[in-house]
Amino acid sequence: MTSLLLKGIEKHFGSVNVIRGVDLRIDDGEFVVFVGPSGCGKSTLLRLISGLEHISDGELMIGDRLVNEVQPSERGVAMVFQSYALYPHLTVRDNMGFGLKVRKVPAGERQRRINEAAATLKLDALLDRYPRELSGGQRQRVAIGRAIVGNPDVFLFDEPLSNLDAELRVHMRSEIAALHKRLSTTMIYVTHDQIEAMTLADKIVVLRDGRIEQVGSPRELYERPANMFVAQFIGSPKMNVLPAANAQLLTPAAVVPASAESVGVRPEHLKVSKAQDGIVRGKVSLCEYTGAITLLHVTLPDGQLCLVTSDDHMAPSLGSEIGLTAQAEKLHFFDHQGRREKPVSDVGVQ
Amino acid sequence: MTDIIHNLKTTRTSQKPWLTLKAREMMEAWLFVSPSFIGFLIFFLGPLCAVVYYSLTEWNLLTQQATFVGLRNFENALLENPDFWHVVRNSVIFALGLVPLNMALALTLALALSRPFFGVVFFRTVFFAPVITSAIAWAIVWKFLLQGEGGFINQVLALVGITGPNWLREPGWAMAAVIITRVIKMVGLNMILYIAALQAIPRDYEEAARLEGASRWQIFSMITWPLLAPTTLVIMVITTIGSFKVFDHIYQMTGGGPENGTLVLAFYIYQQGFKFFNVGYASTLAMIMFVIVMALTIVQVMLRRKGME
Ligand SMILES: Nc1ncnc2c1ncn2[C@@H]1O[C@H](COP(=O)(O)OP(=O)(O)OP(=O)(O)O)[C@@H](O)[C@H]1O
Ligand SMILES: [Mg+2]
Repeated sequence: MTSLLLKGIEKHFGSVNVIRGVDLRIDDGEFVVFVGPSGCGKSTLLRLISGLEHISDGELMIGDRLVNEVQPSERGVAMVFQSYALYPHLTVRDNMGFGLKVRKVPAGERQRRINEAAATLKLDALLDRYPRELSGGQRQRVAIGRAIVGNPDVFLFDEPLSNLDAELRVHMRSEIAALHKRLSTTMIYVTHDQIEAMTLADKIVVLRDGRIEQVGSPRELYERPANMFVAQFIGSPKMNVLPAANAQLLTPAAVVPASAESVGVRPEHLKVSKAQDGIVRGKVSLCEYTGAITLLHVTLPDGQLCLVTSDDHMAPSLGSEIGLTAQAEKLHFFDHQGRREKPVSDVGVQ
Repeated sequence: MTDIIHNLKTTRTSQKPWLTLKAREMMEAWLFVSPSFIGFLIFFLGPLCAVVYYSLTEWNLLTQQATFVGLRNFENALLENPDFWHVVRNSVIFALGLVPLNMALALTLALALSRPFFGVVFFRTVFFAPVITSAIAWAIVWKFLLQGEGGFINQVLALVGITGPNWLREPGWAMAAVIITRVIKMVGLNMILYIAALQAIPRDYEEAARLEGASRWQIFSMITWPLLAPTTLVIMVITTIGSFKVFDHIYQMTGGGPENGTLVLAFYIYQQGFKFFNVGYASTLAMIMFVIVMALTIVQVMLRRKGME
């Protein structure tokens, strides 16, 4: 049973505060993803958990142990590095067995566990190769294998897929998901790719500037972002944010909370129609055709720019006028600080 | 207008160059290397050939006459002249003392100074400075410090109640003294090479190993040291060669003495050639030294290859 508890975790490098008070609970067997823009402290937080960095303030519990002062190797964590960090002078077998060897696990037992992990990850044929003789995806798999062999309580991944090409990334993503299903070990995964975050996570932790912006399931973050930052960070293409007054233009049914300053609507929640059928009209200033959908950049009458996805086969041509309609329940309202306002219609429901 | 362009194009394609592209590139390449290549021929290959020839002659500068004697000089050096083997033995002792000491010290310093900390640049500079100091100046200073009576080193030793030997006048001590002072002079170079190699090892390896429970010693012996192997080989080769070629240091500190106790090969060659003017014999010795150094290099490279498998 390995849950983690972070209480008021802080990290300073000299006078720079990189992590500024993180409180988080991670349940046993959960797949948690840290996302956030570059430099927000994702890797640092992971390294604090692993013990590679010393915690400046706060408490970190792994299981029911306070581990602030526990050696990295005694924390029961294994880490997969972005660079894989495979030892270049050792074969795949020796790379995977390294941890067992330094822990003086007998050779027979060691071989058994290496073979077992290799079978799981389809690495049997590669055991006697050197890292330089492997492809990117295979190296990635060896790095994961090396983590598995130690039988850790918690897996830590720091952007493990960012060195792979798009296709392989999708493939490895599903392998990692399958691995989590099979092992049901607690996993913490850092990425800045929100598709990875959405597809893998039981729970997403959105970080900004060393603080947690929101914690929740992918669906919660998408449907009920706690603030404008999360709203715009999760979901692709990015959510449109317009002055609150525009809400009424998008749908007459909208009830704008009194203190709302802006309204957010996702590009995929705007319906494109002929100019005369829409409630608000706009001019198409750019079309980005991607196959399944077309992303339209639409200029509204008041000059605001708005992104709209259209799966319409009659994709509107550049410069033409189109009509837009939104559904009232798909609108998000934010107050002057960017915090979520409960839509008036929600009040009774929750 | 379009006509002109059209014409230009056709003339360009129809004209056949008098040399193929490859030949022209080759010619350019040779032109570029020719200055240094000519220098190499005149100042390196030329003398080398001359030495090979002289080694087969008996030529005393005083008599101004070179007589071809075939392998007579080699016979003399290797089989008859007891000095030669004594000198080789000295060179080997010098190398066996200097190389391991230099490398161990260089690696230790590099491990201590490869990571940034306050003052690291100062320490690196301190250890590197002797490398760029004149060898003669270095030797003079040490000769002074190592004087038997009233020398700085012996004065320091006296403070703790040790009566130091007359360093440069007693055979065993003289060898130790030239080795150690030479190590201190040259260790900075190897230290820098090791620092560069250490800094090229990604930090991730160490962190991954640390997470897997490796101790500092295990990280060093199982990861760092193997990854340093190519550098270690290079350092070993250049240090060994350097130790066989040591001349100015010996020349200034001991002049080969006492009792020829520090008479090493390079200095012996100098003695034969420029003191006794046996140019033929000196050339022969130089050839032998060349072969020894070459053989050492080949052996070391082969050892390394074997280690890689
Ligand atoms: N050893 C260090 N010393 C000083 N500052 C550091 C150190 N390590 C990280 N930082 C700073 O901490 C901040 C967070 O870094 P971190 O690597 O955790 O970001 P990240 O969220 O992982 O970003 P990315 O997505 O680019 O990997 C950055 O501003 C970085 O400059
Ligand atoms: Mg990072």
